[in-house]
Amino acid sequence: MAELLLDANIRGWVFLPIVVITFLVGVLRHYVSLLIGGSQKKANIEQVQDSQALLRARLLRENGKYLTRSAFQMRRYYFNDEEVGYFLTQKRTAPASNPMTDPSMMMDMLKGNLTNVLPMIVIGGWINWMFSGFVTTKVPFPLTLRFKPMLQRGIELVSLDPAWVSSASWYFLNVFGLRSIYALVLGENNAADQSRQFQDQMSGAAVQMSVDPKAAFKAEWEALELYQHQSVLSNIESEMDVLEG
Amino acid sequence: MTKVANKSGKSGDMTAYSEVALRNNAAIVEYCRTAMAALSGCTAGVLGLSGLYGFGFYVLAVIGLWILLLMRAGSKWNRYFLNRKSLLTNNFIGGLCTYVLFWTFFYTMVHVY
Repeated sequence: MAELLLDANIRGWVFLPIVVITFLVGVLRHYVSLLIGGSQKKANIEQVQDSQALLRARLLRENGKYLTRSAFQMRRYYFNDEEVGYFLTQKRTAPASNPMTDPSMMMDMLKGNLTNVLPMIVIGGWINWMFSGFVTTKVPFPLTLRFKPMLQRGIELVSLDPAWVSSASWYFLNVFGLRSIYALVLGENNAADQSRQFQDQMSGAAVQMSVDPKAAFKAEWEALELYQHQSVLSNIESEMDVLEG
Repeated sequence: MTKVANKSGKSGDMTAYSEVALRNNAAIVEYCRTAMAALSGCTAGVLGLSGLYGFGFYVLAVIGLWILLLMRAGSKWNRYFLNRKSLLTNNFIGGLCTYVLFWTFFYTMVHVY
């Protein structure tokens, strides 16, 4: 394949600006979403209580073997007693299963859309319009013809080597490649990573919100009921004797 | 990297891990990995590696980082990580994305224009 000679002006006015724009838009998105406060969900006190109780019960099941029998029974009594047990006396209503009926949920989704989907469409469209039709760069490895529509968006040249990348595709390469750089620059759990946020919106967030505390309590209650307490420290004196020699 | 020893106690053959410390270690390793991908991408681009040599260089860099991490953790690596293999293979593809971006960027800046 013949080498192309690219104008150095393309580097200065297309190639570098796309990188800078992509990166700065990510940073901007991070701070805008912090500003709107879409990323931190306010948990109400009841949810926190529920999750802490479940956590304690799980810890009791896992580490109960280090307790004496009476201490274990005491803790289990707190959770599972038929009259005063925490899991049986707390009456929790199942949360609304449909996110559309919950106004705060709707608001969150709207905010998420505002900070994630909208910039992606706007910036992507703008880059496509502003920098359309440039051959910007060449990936340093050979590619098959199949990659042509992916990497040469906006340039319909049959004879061009698939390794050459058009400006629109260079933007998408940046979007995917800069993802982990954001983690480096902005710290973990940043809001700049649009694709992950998008996934969250589609699947994760809705599922996470609609965990039914009633069902979780019942499951934990069952597990605690079934747990057979077996202290690992019951023979500790004789074991220590052996160690002492 | 090795900030928190997360083994809290030993009783017989049981080992208790602190989840917070494990997650902290994983986050730090992730940080190292991203930095490594970016830097090795820069290097490959400036050197003008192309084709399979570039990908080979990435694999080399990943293995190099793995060895460095293991050296840092020393013989007691299992105090800090659950297993060694996932230390090598975690986020291989995500790192590759970053690597290819930087590689392409510097290759273009130095060798194409």
